[in-house]
Amino acid sequence: MDTTAKIDYKNIFYPPGGILLWIIIYLELVTFGIALVFMGLNARAEPELFHESRLLLNTAYGTINTVFLLSSGWCMAQSVHFLKLGNFSKSKLFLRLTILGGMLFLALKAVEYADKIEAGLTMGFNAFFGYYWMLTLFHVIHVVVGIIILLVLGRTLSKKPQTLKIADYESGAAFWHMCDLIWLLLFPIIYLLF
Amino acid sequence: MERTFNITWLVLIGLTLLSAVFANLDFTYVATIILGLSFLKFIGVAFFFMELKKANAFWKVLLVAFLTLLLVVVWAV
Repeated sequence: MDTTAKIDYKNIFYPPGGILLWIIIYLELVTFGIALVFMGLNARAEPELFHESRLLLNTAYGTINTVFLLSSGWCMAQSVHFLKLGNFSKSKLFLRLTILGGMLFLALKAVEYADKIEAGLTMGFNAFFGYYWMLTLFHVIHVVVGIIILLVLGRTLSKKPQTLKIADYESGAAFWHMCDLIWLLLFPIIYLLF
Repeated sequence: MERTFNITWLVLIGLTLLSAVFANLDFTYVATIILGLSFLKFIGVAFFFMELKKANAFWKVLLVAFLTLLLVVVWAV
């Protein structure tokens, strides 16, 4: 792998992570954004229901999960950085920590979902929980896909690092960071705002 | 670069904890503050972890414009 190859990020067609990935990121953000606006509109019609339902969520779970994802994002940024320096062992270490952060996020989310199901707060309970389940599950699917992408990148980094292109690695990293960005919109609006 | 990532991570964790604290307070501007902190965290991840700060101005303006519009609309409704 040529770790000295420089990408001209100032060129409009080469944002870090690649133009296709950034188009996907904007489409995803707009999709989640529209759903959040509709959630806000529903909350305006039934403010008490949304407030009381929001209080049934565990803010601590949401906060800890935010810390997991942000820490995972920090590890991913470090992994890309060390790959660019040609330090494969450190890059691999940080990639594994990134995946661990994602796994911890999913584990805590599973605990949270189990609590909600046990309490009968399922998708059909009310409008708030309809949005809660739809948006957070859609995000969880992204996290699972992100972990699979990182596992594939990790396998290539371990077995054939010379075939790994920095642009591909940056694309995988950008997808992972996108999961952070989506969560940074969902967490305050669903768990804290209403 | 590593230092930048470390500082960004610390700031993001601090802002997350601050959001959780404000969410438990009851005063007029709580929603505005929570959305403002969310704006800062989003920009921190995009510009520093994703290195969007190195990208063409088009991508930066597009992201900031989208985020501002979304948070203002959510705040207004």
